[in-house]
Amino acid sequence: MTVVDVEAVFEIAEAVFAAMIDGDHGLLVVRDDQAPVDDPVVAWVDICGPYPGRTAVTTSTATASALVRALLDVGADAGVTDDDRTDAFGEIANVVGGNIKALLPEQGSLGLPRVATAVPPTVDPLVLTLRLAWRGEPLDISVWLTQHEGGAR
Amino acid sequence: MRALVIDDSRVMRRIVAGNLHSLGFQTLEAADGQQALDLLTAGEHADLACIDWNMPVMDGLTFVTKVRANPDLRGITLMMVTTESEQSQIVRALAAGAHEYLIKPFTPEAIREKLEWLGLVPVGENV
Repeated sequence: MTVVDVEAVFEIAEAVFAAMIDGDHGLLVVRDDQAPVDDPVVAWVDICGPYPGRTAVTTSTATASALVRALLDVGADAGVTDDDRTDAFGEIANVVGGNIKALLPEQGSLGLPRVATAVPPTVDPLVLTLRLAWRGEPLDISVWLTQHEGGAR
Repeated sequence: MRALVIDDSRVMRRIVAGNLHSLGFQTLEAADGQQALDLLTAGEHADLACIDWNMPVMDGLTFVTKVRANPDLRGITLMMVTTESEQSQIVRALAAGAHEYLIKPFTPEAIREKLEWLGLVPVGENV
């Protein structure tokens, strides 16, 4: 049973970016290439409960900084500290992940967001990676999910 | 009007506070439920609390329960502002004593509409 698919995740991502970051739709699009993100920073949240899993958002450090500036509505030359980037990028993953959790048929809980240069291994299988471009820059959303009935851990 | 913004994300506190400033609120901030409770029990006044759900130390639902159990804090309007969007979670929060529920991501218009509904902002106030 597939409860999370690329269409649903894109719809969530588009809504999050339009409401929180861009103020409008259209700046986040699906990209054609499958190339990995350079100089990556990844933010993720874990889902616990009957459908355990993880949602991760990956982009370049430079794009993560641009996201922070857009989120805070400050100019392109505004400085972004590591703490700002960790905090804001983690919150983006938190909002995306929270809305993905809402797609699941049974209630679970959401962990606190984490940010690093690589996502640590998880026992849950990778369900999808959505390769997007935000303002032309690569940004990936990956979802790991154990989609079995009544399998709380 | 004075609002207490409770969220472990500093950026999200800034965004919520910015929206509230636009609506004429003064704001103070806390990074978790315990910090917020400490502010209120120490005498800080708030007409409204905007509360994230998932936070370290003390989560938003526990904060709502503790505020509702304290007769001295009954005058505060409690609005959850969270990614927890399942109906069952909304019911839990309202049952614990939250007055309103705003799901992230939200727009400035959504905050204004909720506060209009709560009677904390005049209807038609510009953001």
